[in-house]
Amino acid sequence: MNHGFYLWMSYGATAIALAIEMATLAARRARARRLIEEERDLEAQD
Amino acid sequence: MNWFYFSSPATFYRLAGWLAPWFFGLAAVLTAVGLYYGFIVAPTDAQQGEVYRVIFIHVPAAWMSMFLYFVMAAYSAASLTFNTRLGAMMARSLAPTGALFTFVALWTGAFWGRPTWGTYWAWDARMTSELVLLFLYFGFIALSNAFEDPRRGDRAAALLALIGLVNLPIIYFSVHWWNTLHQGSTVKLTGTSMHVAMLTGMLLMVFAFWTYSIGAALTRVRSIILERERRTRWVRAL
Repeated sequence: MNHGFYLWMSYGATAIALAIEMATLAARRARARRLIEEERDLEAQD
Repeated sequence: MNWFYFSSPATFYRLAGWLAPWFFGLAAVLTAVGLYYGFIVAPTDAQQGEVYRVIFIHVPAAWMSMFLYFVMAAYSAASLTFNTRLGAMMARSLAPTGALFTFVALWTGAFWGRPTWGTYWAWDARMTSELVLLFLYFGFIALSNAFEDPRRGDRAAALLALIGLVNLPIIYFSVHWWNTLHQGSTVKLTGTSMHVAMLTGMLLMVFAFWTYSIGAALTRVRSIILERERRTRWVRAL
């Protein structure tokens, strides 16, 4: 029996899921940085 | 050493930033060695053929899904009991990674189940309780973000995390309590019937997922700290 399909679907989906998490971690980091910049801008205006 | 020194978000932020790359690096090395053992060293299973190699991610993911929930609940209990900010932030940072590994466990289980049991899914006690775990993670994430005041979200989500703890023994003992399609535990404290190369590959992947989870949680908690503490002087000085 060819089990390649089941192995690829398992390992492939896991790799994609981990890549998505890494991308969301980077996106959240960028968002946090943007929020700090906004705070700095607000402070500079005061 | 004063451990409470690192319970401050400002000091933990720096510690997490120093530790996270090491854990990611270790996870990459362990994954490479684990996959080498899983695909090259470990022999083909006599009954299941090549498809059994799904265990090298399915079992570690399933173990991590339960372990991360336990740690998340422990941080939630600490944040409720001692009103610690960092405890709640750590619980929040663990939830997405826990949900990811729960999803991976369910997904890979389905693709292992189809060729071995003849079905992708059955409303079996082990699978259903693992699905409940996924919903608990989703509930935790949704509840923690449902309030404008993050501290209220922390408390509500912490309560849910503690209530959901009851699901962990259900998942673990489900294969003993009920007659399930899912097989019983192969790896026990008393020993295992697995080939040593299979066991080595699987345990290496467990440590790989474990170190990855720590790296991901530390990275995420740094962003949470920045978001929450952005009005403080030390964050603005970064």
